[in-house]
Amino acid sequence: MSQPAYQRLSDTLARLLGLPESRAAAYEKAASAPSNVAGESMPEFGPSEVPPSGELTHVRHPDGRMSSYPPPSRWNDWVEWESKAWPRKVARRYTLVPTVCFNCESGCGLLAYVDKTTYEIRKFEGNPAHPGSRGRNCAKGPATHNQIYDPERILYPLKRVGPRGSGEWRRVSWDEALDDIAAKMRESRKRSKTGITYHVGRPGEDHYANRVIQAWGVDGHNSHTNVCSASARTGYYLSAGFDRPSPDYAHAQAILLISSHLETGHYFNPHAQRIMEAKHKGAKIITLDPRLSNTASKSDVWLPTWPGSEVGVVLCFVRHLLETEQYNREFMRRWVDWRTFLSRASDSITDPEVLAHCGAGKGFDDFISALRALYRDFTFEAVAAKAEVPEERLREAAEYIARAGTRLAAHNWRSASIANRGGWQVTRALSLLHAVTGSLGTKGGTAGNSWNKFKPKAWKMPPKIDVWDEVQLPDEYPFAHFEMSFLLPHFLQEGRGTIDVYFTRVYNPLWTNPDGFMWYRMLRDEEQIGLHVALTPTWNESAWFADYVLPMGHSGERHDFVSYETHAGKWIGFRQPVRRVAMQRAGIEVARTYEANPGEVWEEAEFWNDLSWRMDPDGEMGIRQWFESPNDPTRPITQDEYWAWIFENSVPGLPAAAEAEGLTPLEYMRKYGAFEVEKDVYTPYEHEVAGTIDGEHVVDAAGKRIGVVVDGVARAGFLTPSRKVEILSTTLMDWGWNEAEYSVPWPLPSHVAREEIPFGDGGMLLLPNFRLPTLIHTRSANAKWLVEISHHNPVWLHPSDAKRMGVETGDLLRIDTEIGWFVDRVWVTEGIKPGILAISHHLGRWRLKEDQGLNRMASSLVELGEADQEYTLNVKHGAAKFKSSDPDTERIWWETVGVHQNLTHAVHPDPISGAHCWLQKAVRVRKAEPNEAYGEVHVSTERSMEVYRQWLSWTRPASKFSPDGTRRPMWLKRPITPVESAYKLPE
Amino acid sequence: MNYGFVIDNRSCIGCHACSTACKSENQVPLGVNRTWVKYTETGAYPDVRRAFQVTRCNHCSNPPCVRICPTAAMYQRDDGIVEFDTDACIGCKACTQACPYDAIYIDPDTHTAAKCHYCSHRVDVGMEPACVVVCPEHAIIAGDLDDPSSEISRKLAKNNVTVRKPEQGTAPKVFYIEGNDIAMHPTAVSREPAGMMFADVLSLHPGHPVHAPGAKSSPPPSKTGPDSRRAPQPQGLQTGGPLNVGGKMAEHMVQVGYNAQHDIQWHWQIPTYVVTKHIAAGSFGFLAAAAILPESILPFSQVAMVGGGLLGIIMTLLTLLLLVIDLDRPDRFFYLLVRPQWRSWVARAAWILSVFSGITGLWWAVEAYSWWFAWPMPSQLRVAFAAASIVPSILASTYTAFLFAQAEGRDLWQGAHVPVQMFAHMIVFGSMPFLVDGQMGGVAQVVMAVAIACSAAITLVGDVWTPHPSEVARRAGESMVKGRYRQHFWWGGLALGHILPLLCVVLAMGTLGQVPTVLMVGTGIILSLGHYLYNTAFVMAPQEIPNS
Repeated sequence: MSQPAYQRLSDTLARLLGLPESRAAAYEKAASAPSNVAGESMPEFGPSEVPPSGELTHVRHPDGRMSSYPPPSRWNDWVEWESKAWPRKVARRYTLVPTVCFNCESGCGLLAYVDKTTYEIRKFEGNPAHPGSRGRNCAKGPATHNQIYDPERILYPLKRVGPRGSGEWRRVSWDEALDDIAAKMRESRKRSKTGITYHVGRPGEDHYANRVIQAWGVDGHNSHTNVCSASARTGYYLSAGFDRPSPDYAHAQAILLISSHLETGHYFNPHAQRIMEAKHKGAKIITLDPRLSNTASKSDVWLPTWPGSEVGVVLCFVRHLLETEQYNREFMRRWVDWRTFLSRASDSITDPEVLAHCGAGKGFDDFISALRALYRDFTFEAVAAKAEVPEERLREAAEYIARAGTRLAAHNWRSASIANRGGWQVTRALSLLHAVTGSLGTKGGTAGNSWNKFKPKAWKMPPKIDVWDEVQLPDEYPFAHFEMSFLLPHFLQEGRGTIDVYFTRVYNPLWTNPDGFMWYRMLRDEEQIGLHVALTPTWNESAWFADYVLPMGHSGERHDFVSYETHAGKWIGFRQPVRRVAMQRAGIEVARTYEANPGEVWEEAEFWNDLSWRMDPDGEMGIRQWFESPNDPTRPITQDEYWAWIFENSVPGLPAAAEAEGLTPLEYMRKYGAFEVEKDVYTPYEHEVAGTIDGEHVVDAAGKRIGVVVDGVARAGFLTPSRKVEILSTTLMDWGWNEAEYSVPWPLPSHVAREEIPFGDGGMLLLPNFRLPTLIHTRSANAKWLVEISHHNPVWLHPSDAKRMGVETGDLLRIDTEIGWFVDRVWVTEGIKPGILAISHHLGRWRLKEDQGLNRMASSLVELGEADQEYTLNVKHGAAKFKSSDPDTERIWWETVGVHQNLTHAVHPDPISGAHCWLQKAVRVRKAEPNEAYGEVHVSTERSMEVYRQWLSWTRPASKFSPDGTRRPMWLKRPITPVESAYKLPE
Repeated sequence: MNYGFVIDNRSCIGCHACSTACKSENQVPLGVNRTWVKYTETGAYPDVRRAFQVTRCNHCSNPPCVRICPTAAMYQRDDGIVEFDTDACIGCKACTQACPYDAIYIDPDTHTAAKCHYCSHRVDVGMEPACVVVCPEHAIIAGDLDDPSSEISRKLAKNNVTVRKPEQGTAPKVFYIEGNDIAMHPTAVSREPAGMMFADVLSLHPGHPVHAPGAKSSPPPSKTGPDSRRAPQPQGLQTGGPLNVGGKMAEHMVQVGYNAQHDIQWHWQIPTYVVTKHIAAGSFGFLAAAAILPESILPFSQVAMVGGGLLGIIMTLLTLLLLVIDLDRPDRFFYLLVRPQWRSWVARAAWILSVFSGITGLWWAVEAYSWWFAWPMPSQLRVAFAAASIVPSILASTYTAFLFAQAEGRDLWQGAHVPVQMFAHMIVFGSMPFLVDGQMGGVAQVVMAVAIACSAAITLVGDVWTPHPSEVARRAGESMVKGRYRQHFWWGGLALGHILPLLCVVLAMGTLGQVPTVLMVGTGIILSLGHYLYNTAFVMAPQEIPNS
């Protein structure tokens, strides 16, 4: 392309003055060879002789919108104009590779634009073929590109030199790392079946890692559910045998959110799309949250409840429906286990007005009368007073719910359930509300997650493990959902065990979990943790205390199989290493993903295979067999082999769909990245089943219950022991939780109920766990576009509280918790309930070394202090400009990176669900003194152990209360279920 | 074809997907934004709501940025998209002053102006802008406003929509369904926030902390007495925001939760160059007048011509230097001459200055030659030079008023008195170099005294006493006269720029030759300093008012 002569003159002047030359000059040159510069430089792209085709696929969305996307037929060779050169027409030639986002658990589709010359990634857009996200994304999707070209990313395997946490690292080869770790695992495994732990923060995949652990034969799965969804899971599971809800938002008429699904949560983007779709069709949104979340702000009814009062609010809706005869009689009669309620109520409930309707010879109408009597005191007036919300809002919400009937979509994600002691009752109450409205699994109602989530059959499944690791699921917590992950350091401190090989995978417990200084102690203690291997795509505080830091890929750099319950349907998604796929499309052979990824960044799927192989190189331990290639048992199975088997044998409909396009199932998934397995999945519990009738139930040949007889027809029912919705939980009753406040949906006193807060001494309630739509727990420090938008986690404070303490926006506040204190800035807002402090999760990241350990734009450089059992964190400086391979790091304009409040959180393990109850008692809140600095943290681990022991004392251990000598009710889920004999309590 | 956007606020959930998708598609550097989501909060607990507003270039039908752009780097395509061409931009930043919406920034990579360009590189091949595709809620609708069957046209027909600042006459084409007046109105929150919900606030004045929260710069009217309402508030300056929500008790009832950082683009170079330019243009204007007018009225002195003209030449060069170094692309300064866009006062200015400096430079050179080599200067030649210099001198001095007026993002600069004021300043500065001249000094003193008096009157009438036509102008005017820049205005502009030099000149009158040259040189310096301070107030105050 020609340029005017005067431009040549200015280009010459520009070069003299050190200014960038014109686009015209810059784009005359183009990259001409493959490169792999991520982490070391910004990407460059090649030329295209061909102009864009203008050929597009038009997608009609359910909301009436038409979008245009590159047609899949052209994904292999797609040309676009380069935006940076525009209005000069510089064409770029891409191959578009679908993958799945890994920036939260929603698993939205992404389409990577991989340059055909350099194999560098230009951008990530939405994948229109993805049934969950439907071609759209949230802010975190496009930001995947930042993570890949993060100038501070970890490119090579690192091995610690010097003491743990000293920050001295040596680059090692994958061979060296694999051999060393495998040898240690082999040694541990030969000694015991509880020496290896895989501690996963964000799984981001289904089945693969669990299969690997099972192949090792260890009870080694630990997760993060207990700081996340444990209490919601417990309540749902005990009620209806599924542990998470899957609301059919798109068709709902009332949407009840004890969550903030228009900004966060599983599954934010897919759910937010469908919630707003329903809103536009007239659905009413009701949101419970003491804080004005974005979701609350978009709601028709915002109920700013005092934490712990949410169960009462739901029960007042239940009462209203029962009292006004607006309950779903048919559903309740058919699908609620009211017979057991009537027969066993007297074992638990003491209220004579309820018991008057119970007992032998009573029928369904008596059950309704009993429920009415049970919840008679949950009037709008009483609940409004308790929850401190306007009564008319409760009435309005109740009316919306009554009108919606079976089209009630409700969700509790974290929020009240994970916030309060007894929070699992929130989802017990919601389950009851669904039963009363008959909205379980209906169109516009709320399904169980397992109904809408596709579970593949794994290839060659190893036998179940035959051991029970008490450090994961200890005696005290037979109902925990699941492993008592956040108490690990407390357990080890008490001498309950040690770990030989500890994998943390996309898990940053030292930062994320409460009581981080306990983790700091544990991770540094080589007696407690023999070998710590951090598998992570990016630096984090915990990885700093690892022995190996092994870089694992971001979403465009790995293989994963995902399926999530985003709506009333089932789909699968396939995460792919996009450079590898692009190179293979061009005929370049890639044996291991790290050959195609930046540096030597690998992926777990291949890593596990090679690691397990080296753990048992000659097969003598019986481990190697699970990793042998079906085509050549002398080498590990490849990713192509593994996924080809899954897609051919495990996903109904996929082989046929592939064949229709002349592709193999694997080729189909590599091309589209997603597949819709089933549409419009509703009321699966109504499905008729064949089996042997055994009383009210249907059993299979092995005698296992597979259904229930309803009105004479054998139907699948729910996964509870009764195969129906259990309003009275006999499981809880049988395991020592016999009081009515536990056995039926009932508000339990929260640890932060109003009367628990020392308001007189300047106390307040600290709500520390809300999230922003732009951030990813502890994985967004490497995404500059996200950090630029959000880098500050001030204390939300109501003007009345601010006035009382004499502070204004920008002032420093000192907040004392049960175990320590910290200092943060104030943000005064009307959008918070008076008496409550709210501070968002995710910010306040830190590092110990100036130029390594965490992204400098999102972390402060800190100094940790330690004296006796007193720990301190002091901030040296926040974000600052620095020079790197990305010119943007010299444009960092913010300083604030937030305060790490979680360090000061005492652990609050709920005695039943095992969930960490996130809300904290701020025992004293006041304006900071001049010597108290922003970001400063002080903690006494002596105090934290005291609080831990106090909460532990409220448990009812299996060894004392188990009705049948088992450790855990057999019907409750575990991520990796052991053989039955492992459930037996030791004599 | 006529592209526009509908932003459906009913659907927007404030997720910022559009912001990052835009950064990704257009590789927008940190620190600048083509589109962002503004958060505002209104109400008092528990009746409080947060509003989200996708904020970006309006692709105005009548875009002031295009009119002011001197090189047509900013231009309107046939399909209504307001586009920019990085290669044509000289980095003069005039477009950032012309945009009433804070939509344009200077790209730190290219040092040129950039903004939302409707992803025209995508639109041209049939694809939607990146923000439209990514939006989970279909809250951003792009399309052809000329096609009645397009989705955007149908949405416009069915819904009540509003635009930002319609009074600017820009005819914006980003239409908001359920537009929120508080979010739309940049000055709804008069105080500079000390922080936002999840981001820092950059101070406009580095080194000074962001205003203390709740800065009581414009306290709400006292509500204590029954008569307090009878004392009217100043015109155009509401307290507590345009909706007058809130007040002393609930000062957080209206606040900004998140917004892009407001930035200032023109700094000390501009007020300085206005002064140097007045000296240059004024001195040659004065010399030209002397050359043309009868000696009885204003005598001409060649020594003064060479000496005062030299000062004029130096000031001309300084002016040009300041203008070029203020460009973010000084390597492209000559684009002003080789590819001018004639509606732009920046381009016109470049030509005016070129013609002015060419003619006056030549004139000075000939006079200097004549003086040095004692070559008698033909009077016809002098008169010809003088005649040719008059108009360029006046234009060189006063065009700045028209350039400022073309900057439609700064309402204060559109005062009708500004051209006259600048003309008066030209005369003040034009007479300055000749105060000490034995022949011309007497008249110069009188001219200066009269011009200073006129200028003071114009300044007081125009800047202080005349009500401003818009709220934005009023706020800037308040800042200049009563706020942050009041010292610049009163001590600098009025005292140093007018009263003190006037006193000096009046004192010196009739005592020509006995007055120490030092005093007159001092007068010139004081005058220049005073005008620099005044210009600083005039240039900076309106730039501080946020436009988004």
